[in-house]
Order: sequence, then C-alpha cells, then structure tokens
Amino acid sequence: MLDLFHLVLQIAVILVAARLVGFLFQKIHQPQVMGEMVAGILLGPSLLGWLAPGVSAALFPPASLSYLNALSQVGLVVFMFVVGLALNPSDLHGYGHAAVLTSHVSIVAPFCLGGLTALYLYPRLSDDGVTFTGFALFMGAAMSITAFPVLARILTERGLLRSRMGTMAIACAAVDDVTGWCILAYIVVLVRVTHAARPAWVTIAGSLAYVLIMVFVVRRILPAFEREFRKRDRLSDNLVAVIVVLVLVSALATEWLGIHLLFGAFLMGAIMPKTPEFTHYLLHKFESVTVVLLLPLFFAFTGLRTRIGVGGGRAIWFYSAIVIVVAITGKLGGSMFAARLAGMPWREAASLGILMNTRGLMELVILNIGLDIGVISPAMFSIMVLMALVTTFMTTPLLEWVYPTRLLRAQMDEVHKNVA
Amino acid sequence: MVKNNLVAAYLLLVGMPVLGLLGILEAGRGIPAPPSISGDWALEFDPAAPCANGPASLRQPALSISQSGTEALITMNDGHATTLEATIDGTTLTAKWLTASIAGKLGARTLEGKMHFDGCAPVAFRAVRQAPKKRGE
Repeated sequence: MLDLFHLVLQIAVILVAARLVGFLFQKIHQPQVMGEMVAGILLGPSLLGWLAPGVSAALFPPASLSYLNALSQVGLVVFMFVVGLALNPSDLHGYGHAAVLTSHVSIVAPFCLGGLTALYLYPRLSDDGVTFTGFALFMGAAMSITAFPVLARILTERGLLRSRMGTMAIACAAVDDVTGWCILAYIVVLVRVTHAARPAWVTIAGSLAYVLIMVFVVRRILPAFEREFRKRDRLSDNLVAVIVVLVLVSALATEWLGIHLLFGAFLMGAIMPKTPEFTHYLLHKFESVTVVLLLPLFFAFTGLRTRIGVGGGRAIWFYSAIVIVVAITGKLGGSMFAARLAGMPWREAASLGILMNTRGLMELVILNIGLDIGVISPAMFSIMVLMALVTTFMTTPLLEWVYPTRLLRAQMDEVHKNVA
Repeated sequence: MVKNNLVAAYLLLVGMPVLGLLGILEAGRGIPAPPSISGDWALEFDPAAPCANGPASLRQPALSISQSGTEALITMNDGHATTLEATIDGTTLTAKWLTASIAGKLGARTLEGKMHFDGCAPVAFRAVRQAPKKRGE
C-alpha cells in the first residue's frame, strides 16, 4: 500500500538536501547538478546509512522505495526528452573531418580501454549470469559517455559556448550522446534477449521499424506544433499535453520492444523541430519541474543504491582507482590527442578533452539501466558512480587551470578588436 | 594532404582500436566468472534434523542474495532483515554461520550446505533460486 506520509517526507528531505548541497557546490564553482548528485549519495548508505542507520531505515524503508523509483523514472523520461530536444543536428555542420575524427576517437578510445579493463574486472566483479561480451560492451559504453547537458551548462557559465573549442565540444558531445545511446540500446537488447520470452528478431525488427516510423512519419507531423507556436507565440495546454502523450507513447513503444523507456523519450526529443524559439519554449516548459523536482529524486534513488566504501575492503578502492584512471585516460586523453592531430592548439585540445571527460548525470542514467538489467553488479555500480562523480567534479577546476578565464577573456577581446 | 593525414589518423585511431576491441571480446569469452547466486532463495531443511524448521521467524523466500563477483550480501527474511557478508570461492559459498556448495546450471542453480543456529547442531539445508522479479515489482 502507498505510504503517502513517507513518500512526501522523502521528497521534502531530498529537495532540501539537493538545494543545500547544490548551493554549497556553486560556492566552490561547481555546477549545481554536481552538488545534487553528491546530495543523493550522502542520503544513501555511503553516508546517512553509515552514520545513522536508524534514521536512514526510518526515512527510506525498503518497501517505500518503489514509489520513489517510479517518480524518478517518470522524471527521467521527461529529462531524456529534454536532452533529445536540446540536441541539434546543425551543431555538427561546418566542423567537417576534425569533428568527426575527434568525436569518434573520444568514443572509441575509452570504449576500448573499458573493454580491456573488463578482462581484469569480469572475473572479480561479475558472475556467470552475465556474458563477458555484455559486461565488456557495457563497460565500454559507460566509459565513453559525455554529459551533454552538464557540458552545455559549464560552457555557458564560462562564456565558452560560442568559442571554437566550445562549439567543437558541443558537436562532439552530440555525436557521443547519439552513438552512446545506440550502443547501449544494442547492449540492452543483447542482455535482455537471453532472458526475454520474446524472440530476438521481434526486438530487432521492431526497433528498426520503430526508428523508421519515428524518423519518416512522426517527424513530418511534428512541425504542426511549431506552426501553431508561431501563430500564437505559445502552445495551448492541450497541445503541450499531446506532446507529453507522444513522449510517453514513444517511451512505452521502446519498453515494449525490450529496449528501454528512456530510448523512446530521447528519440522523441531528438526528432522535434529545432527552431531556437520553439526549442527554448519547450525546454522552459519541461525543464523546471524536471530539474527542480524530479531529477533530485533520481539522484537520491541512485544514492540509495550506491555503497561507496561499504564492504569489499581495500580491493574495491583499488578497482575504483583503476576505473577512474582508465576512464580519464580514454576520454580526456583520447579526445585531446585526436583534437591536436586534427589541428587544434594544445591548450584548446586539452580543454576539449577535459570537457568531453564530463560524465555527470548521463552516466548515472546509464549505470542505473545497467544495474536494472543485471549487466553490472552492485559493487561495479558503486565504482562507476564514484568515477562519474570524480570526472564531473574535476572538469571545472581543471578547465580553469588549463584555460584560465582571464586568458579566455583576453582572447575574446582580441577577436572582437580584429572584427571591429 | 591534410585530408590524407586525417584519413590515416582516422584509420589509426578509430579503425585499429575497433579491431582491438573485437580481439578483446574474443579473448574474454574464455574467462571464467564466479557462479551467479543473486536473487531470492527458498530454503528446505532436512526434516529429520534437530531445529529442522530453522528459526521460527524465517519466512520463504528465506534468503535474498546480492552478489558482486566473489563477494555477496545475504539478507535473511526473518523480520529483522539480518545481513551476512559472504564470499564465493569456486563453487563454495561461505558466510558467518552458513556454508554451502553451489550446484546446477545457471537456470536451475541450487545451494546445498549447513546452517548454524543458536543452541542447535548444524542443520543441513537445500535452497532453490526463485524466478527473478520483473523490474518495478
């Protein structure tokens, strides 16, 4: 039975913790979302459950967590729609071969290193219920993801969004996001097919048919929303509700096909019309409730599943160190090296590598999917969450060190003078 | 010239690692992993043994196991959610008051061993893994 008192209390505590820790992190020049992620971890067994197990058990009794999970999943569905909406194919125009090389290397390098690490970690942190192929591909995909929304926020805050390096980072992150989600869809199908009652060909053929219908049929209907928006400068509540229903139907279709709810929501956002005013309007409509209310619930739910430093002894810290080093080497090193080869100066290439290394919340989304389908164990999940926190946390200070704001401003002024 | 260099760089930095990844996936196929025991387990005790019903508070499914490679966390369904840290060495599961051997194939795995309860001689038991719950249940 729904324990409404517990659920409302949990939401209140999570929101207070998220805003408070988010505020503190902003004070140390970290993005708000980083603080919210940490708040989620602090509410779980890694801190609250360790310091005050009684309080933790009273606040988050296991039976009540399914409701929190359900709410956070709804939030993620809307969030993935927002992520897809923010992706714009025109970001990729004009970057040619350099962007293609950099983005592909920024996926392939961490992916391969993730696979290589899987050779060592599979017999230690997995079991025979998971195939090595599934484990290694998941490790690769989780290592190669970039947090597109966090990256965009960092670039905006630092005034780098319109710089050469900033636009290149956005282009590469967009390619990474789409590629990463395609690879993950394949892994989910690969893992689920072995346990599913539905034949594999139904999932594969169905997914193909679904993508074709979305791209060639649904995408042609969607500009009607944009035309309506242009006429009235807004969308009626009924039309917004229709968009929400379309997102939910798309999410249900991918869930039914055996991929995952989130793929459908993401694709729906990705095929929406991309004129800036319309996109901005929809982002404004959907983002506030999702970011302020629902995402902190997802962070808390993730935190409740994360047991950093609890059990496993020293070996877990050793495995964590390996994963963090591999993740940084593959993503930061791979992107930096490729950008330099493509002709970027060292400082910009290094900054690009640092930005691409931001995994943030997208990593948490992927890890939760991995834990849900059983491709990673609880310990592996905790290690990867720690890696996501470290790589996201290091972005801002490292970027300031490699590309100081004063230098950036001086270069921007120089450009403006030359234009004038 | 620049385009040729980029093509060469692409082949070197993307093509070669992809081939390497295929090699890694092939090499990993032969790596053995610990037997999977995560999930809920129903316990059956030897009816002839003393304390054959186990602790009165234990309800079915009596054990819930969360596994991470060779480490596992066993939660007893005894009303207090008593937890035991366990290790898996080959096909042997060892915890504070439980030793069992893991048998059977992945889909039909069983645990057979002995459990120690206060005031009783070790009791033989057999555990059968329950069908996994669907997501969201």
